[in-house]
Amino acid sequence: MHKLTRIAVAALTAAAVAAPVGAANAQVYPNKPIRLIVAFPPGGSTDIIARLVGQKLGERVGQQVIVDNRGGAGGTIGTELAAKANADGYTLTMGTTSTHVIAPAAYVKVKYDPIKDFVPITLVASTPYLLVLHPGVKANSLKEFVGLVKSQPGKLNFASAGTGSTTQLAMEMLKIAAGIDIVHVPYSGNGPAGTAVMGGQVQALFGSMPAVLPHVKAGRIRPIAVGTAKRSSALPNVPTVSESGYPGFEVSLWLGFFAPKGTPDPVLRKLYDELTGIARSPEMKEQFERNGADAVTTTQVELSRLMKTELDKYGKVIKSAGIQLK
Amino acid sequence: MESLASFFPNLALGFQTAVSLQNLTYCFIGVFVGTVVGVLPGIGPLAAIAMLLPATFNLPPVGALIMLAGIYYGTQYGGSTTSILVKLPGESASVVTCIDGYEMAKRGRAGPALAIAAIGSFFAGTVGTILIAVAGPPLAEMALKFGAPEYFSLMTMGLIASAVLAHGSMVKAIAMIFLGLVFGIVGTDVNSGMSRFTFGASGLADGLSFVVVAMGLFGFAEILANLERQKEASTRDLLAKKIEHLYPTLKDLKVSAGAIMRGTAIGAFFGTLPGAGPTISAFSSYALEKKMAKHPEEFGTGAIQGVAGPESANNAAAQCAFIPTLTLGIPGSGTMALMLGALTIQGIAPGPQVMTQRPELFWGLIASMWIGNALLVVLNLPLIGLWVKLLQVPYRFLFPAIMVFMSIGVYSVNNLDLDIYMTVFFGFLGYVFIKLKCEPAPLILAFVLGPLMEENLRRALLISRGDPTVFFTRPISAGFLIATILLLIVMIMPNVRKKREQVLVEEGTG
Repeated sequence: MHKLTRIAVAALTAAAVAAPVGAANAQVYPNKPIRLIVAFPPGGSTDIIARLVGQKLGERVGQQVIVDNRGGAGGTIGTELAAKANADGYTLTMGTTSTHVIAPAAYVKVKYDPIKDFVPITLVASTPYLLVLHPGVKANSLKEFVGLVKSQPGKLNFASAGTGSTTQLAMEMLKIAAGIDIVHVPYSGNGPAGTAVMGGQVQALFGSMPAVLPHVKAGRIRPIAVGTAKRSSALPNVPTVSESGYPGFEVSLWLGFFAPKGTPDPVLRKLYDELTGIARSPEMKEQFERNGADAVTTTQVELSRLMKTELDKYGKVIKSAGIQLK
Repeated sequence: MESLASFFPNLALGFQTAVSLQNLTYCFIGVFVGTVVGVLPGIGPLAAIAMLLPATFNLPPVGALIMLAGIYYGTQYGGSTTSILVKLPGESASVVTCIDGYEMAKRGRAGPALAIAAIGSFFAGTVGTILIAVAGPPLAEMALKFGAPEYFSLMTMGLIASAVLAHGSMVKAIAMIFLGLVFGIVGTDVNSGMSRFTFGASGLADGLSFVVVAMGLFGFAEILANLERQKEASTRDLLAKKIEHLYPTLKDLKVSAGAIMRGTAIGAFFGTLPGAGPTISAFSSYALEKKMAKHPEEFGTGAIQGVAGPESANNAAAQCAFIPTLTLGIPGSGTMALMLGALTIQGIAPGPQVMTQRPELFWGLIASMWIGNALLVVLNLPLIGLWVKLLQVPYRFLFPAIMVFMSIGVYSVNNLDLDIYMTVFFGFLGYVFIKLKCEPAPLILAFVLGPLMEENLRRALLISRGDPTVFFTRPISAGFLIATILLLIVMIMPNVRKKREQVLVEEGTG
């Protein structure tokens, strides 16, 4: 008990000493903890990257960054909350292709506008999508796979992490590009979708790198193509879809920091400097790589432009696949 | 079996790693924090691990994992404590413990109930640990054989078995199962992406949360019912005072031994399946014990086997849930997904390579699982006195405290205020059920299993292009369906006989 009392006294004293200093620096951002809204439940790759970057950001600015998981409804609940938050720099959100491109395009009732309600700060990471097959499927390249599907249209299945998920849309894009007919079987999340391909319940999956990479390394699923423009450093021997005969094909999931529209410029500049610094640090690069992601940074203008192109690109796929989430 | 030969040297390496002072300390901190957090109603392992995950970033990998595993067991165990003491199940697996555990507590036998839960969990944990060490990889292969048809048939069996949970009217139990299925439908349909019964509330898009339904129907409703009774000289306080034994008697232990072993076996079997392992094991064990008991009528009124079996089963399952996570890198639950995340942050890619590349980590974790379970018993047996004393706190102090913690717990799951209002709704609904003598356990199990059943039924038919014979042509699936039919026959037979006897008696008197 004595120890506890002593700690309590020490804490109180520290608070008393710190308080006037804090008051004097009230103009300096940040002078209180920052809330980082993650629109997905804990444990997913978005959450883990947010926690890694959030912790480092906290260390750099001398304030705690609290990850606030507001999962649900494909990330729209948390993102809507972030859109309506005070634009003072104390509420940020981890925006992704899902929350800022696909959800607004696929959901009928999304109550935020990814362009009008947010200011982009910077991307921090991007994760490639990897086309994997069950080892029993007789195709060792994208060309053979397309040939196989064409020889029996509508007979093979592909898994996804859910209707309207990036994993479904990546395959829908390939279906359009290659003109193939393969049936969509939605699972509830990346984990079950990966398991289904490993167990041979379905033949193919356009899975996110962090979810499928360990199984590829273990030899349980066969990678045949990666969806990014360049080959992935994690699997340098796997060709891109683009170089396998479908030039221009590109799908990846990007993750970046967004603030509610109206956040003051000095705050945005400070966050931009810190976040790009974190994403470029060798330590973070290594952490990202372990999680199957690549460190990426962008300027505000680049990120705005990227969102516009992506909204257009995914909007077309969503329309042609007839996806409408209500 | 090659793994058997290397079993002892491997385990020795594991204990060498785990039994360093530093790692023992991490293990103890984890178990302690887990127990404390787990006792707070509604705060389950997922919320606890998510909160504490960043704290482990800077620890050495082995220490970090050991601590997280400790939290996992601790919360699981803490959840049983609240189920027994105040009828608040923290997780779906603890629902079954509420039935007889809480009845025991009402009869002044909270001590033996808590102790048997600890002993059963420890035994199950020990067996589970050995199983992971000896047969982890082959068991994981088995889990991969489970596709949509298998899951559907397994869920069907589970749903039929859940009718056994009720000890009153069969008709009421079936009605509650259907109601549970309806609540389970709420949310976004996996196949089409359409919302069902959400009434435009985005908070309902992912369905009703288990914690909301369970806290409402069990905890909240129980408080309402107790408050009503307060004026009648408070039966609750009276009951709490006549505590005879703090620890189980020899007779209790004898009766429970079989239940613990059967529960462990059931839990070990279902636990390796990613998904609803612990829940299905807990109530399969309950159903089995009720069938095996000499006095099945005692179930629902404080039968100790009704606590011993399911508690062992859910702990064995919780332990075996590590098998697919560690050997295949497939997380069976949200909590396991977080553990997997912690592994990757530490630079370890889960999968078969972990065992060969980082043996000290793999075996250290396994050894520390056992140590964690042992520490839990050491920590919890002396605490039983304290928990039981908690029941003697006047109810006017206890219930507001429970309400506050319950609200925090419910909110912590999704950080959604709608969840608290929904809990209130289910609380009043639960109160009505108490008045109507309808038991909520079958409803909750149907609520948990229903959506999984539907999802897998439709997935199976989607893959088979609408051919329903897949459920019978795949051997594992067919096995479960045959077991379901047998179960139905066993359940209906005594009722038919009883009815006939009743009819005969009535005819005789008439």
